Amino acid sequence: MLASKSEKTFGAVITGLLILFSIVALIPLLSVISTSLSSKSAVDMNLVTLWPKQFTFDSWKYIVDRPDLWKSFFLTLSTTLIGTILALLMTALFAYPLSKPEFRWGSVIMMAVVVAMIFKAPIVPYFLTVRGIGLYDNPLVLIVPHILNPFNLIIMRTFFKQFSKELEEAAFLEGCGYFRMLFQFVLPLSKAVLATLALFYGVVLWNQFQHPLFFLQDTNWFPLQIKIRQFITDDSVIMSGAASTAQLNYNERTLRAATVIFAIVPIVVVYPFLQKYFVKGAMIGSVKG
Amino acid sequence: MKSIASHQMKVYWPLYVMAIPGMIFLIVFKFIPLAGAVIAFKDYSVFRGFIDSPWVGFKHFETLLQHPDFLRVFSNTLLLGLFKLTIVFPVPVLLALMINEIRKSALKKGIQTALYIPHFLSWVIVGGILFDFFSLSGMFNIILGWFGAEPVLAMQESAYFRPIYVLASIWKDAGWGTVVYMAAISAIDPQLYESAMIDGASRFRQIRHITFPILLPTVLVLFLLDIGNFLDLGFDQVYNLLTPMTYNVGDILDTYVFRTGIQQGQYSFATAVGLFQSVIGFIMVYTFNKLSNKVSDGGLW
Repeated sequence: MLASKSEKTFGAVITGLLILFSIVALIPLLSVISTSLSSKSAVDMNLVTLWPKQFTFDSWKYIVDRPDLWKSFFLTLSTTLIGTILALLMTALFAYPLSKPEFRWGSVIMMAVVVAMIFKAPIVPYFLTVRGIGLYDNPLVLIVPHILNPFNLIIMRTFFKQFSKELEEAAFLEGCGYFRMLFQFVLPLSKAVLATLALFYGVVLWNQFQHPLFFLQDTNWFPLQIKIRQFITDDSVIMSGAASTAQLNYNERTLRAATVIFAIVPIVVVYPFLQKYFVKGAMIGSVKG
Repeated sequence: MKSIASHQMKVYWPLYVMAIPGMIFLIVFKFIPLAGAVIAFKDYSVFRGFIDSPWVGFKHFETLLQHPDFLRVFSNTLLLGLFKLTIVFPVPVLLALMINEIRKSALKKGIQTALYIPHFLSWVIVGGILFDFFSLSGMFNIILGWFGAEPVLAMQESAYFRPIYVLASIWKDAGWGTVVYMAAISAIDPQLYESAMIDGASRFRQIRHITFPILLPTVLVLFLLDIGNFLDLGFDQVYNLLTPMTYNVGDILDTYVFRTGIQQGQYSFATAVGLFQSVIGFIMVYTFNKLSNKVSDGGLW
């Protein structure tokens, strides 16, 4: 098919615009990276835009030497890992009976799940309930409220429904029970949906901000996002380990930039490997939604 | 009858056991808080709980409607919600239509990756990036300087809050928002395009007469969902972009509920605010769903 001249221009304009958008999307990130790798004086003299000036790792050295930041980092890493595993287990255990027509409470429960999705409870009674079950100032609040998401539950149930009846019936005749069926046959065949949901749960657990803000007082249990928020908003926290400010090669701004990038690195590292699962999951979700 | 039930239990009991943890979760984290919303009509006391606290009728709603703070917060929320629906919502649709026109798959992948990444950053991080970008020695002010303009601390200026909110929403989520539309586009039968090309339809006309009409039901459904979340602007987002200097334009229902309810402990009053928000959201979805059912058959139910 021969493209006419105007067709070619049309394609070129769209391609050009999209490349421009992609660059614009990355500019704020680039500017923060450059700030974190520039010296204090270069930043103060307004020299830093898209690449580092007077290149230095000093801000980074300071940031990676902060034990409190690493503490939050590892706390968040472990709550994310444990939370994701628990969430998958919980979601699978609930989705499996809901995918079975012989489970009589199924339709009622599904209705309840949809109601829970449409009507969001006001935040204050939610706060009071969660506090009432003892999760106030308790690090478990970083995990427990996130281990079941109605939307993810529906995705998994939809996936389970596709399994052939014949396979299951054969297994049942062999004397295989529902629990073994789920853990030995169904879950090993559900790796794609498990990976996708692990990512959805993982991102929520890693990025969570509202729960720790509402429920945690004890600074020992501050997860990464809260810690970074402190670093961004409170100069006394970020500079608390610094010596006399006069001869330093960093300032609040370069340190804040380094902190922000510090928190992005794990996401950018895992992202390329996981992108296809994210997209697949969003598509499964959209078919349902 | 009884024997059927007992037979059901004998064979299928593992299914019921499996469902128990999930049911407990739903009850504790979804339905008790939902039922707890009754404290909007009570004077909640920590010692008496949701059930035994005394009824006071619409007292808190009356206070709320007369409260000058509430009117300010409510109109801030309405305005930002309106911007989100009118300016932010269409962007992913346009982006998806554009991305679909790119034929080179490596380039397409690269562009998609660049546009998706911001979605996975938390609002704390996005806030941190923006505060850096708009700081006195930050890139925004350096660029202003090239044009000889005076530096501004945009994050601390009321006039800039709404534009920044809108741009940040687009920056973070517009790219990711295309995923759903791309899925819908990829399901379109290629034969439609082939016959359009034989008829001599240009690429622009193909978008207008094939891609866009097929996309429309998806757009409509997502628009309805967005209308339902009209007043739900995202606590994390606003909280992390807000400074005390921008409260007059950026303080919304969510942040107001956090301050009055969680921080100051006015539980019943803040619940009334939250319930007001939920009810308006529900009315909006219901009305617009009726409308869209009338116009086409693309409603939610």
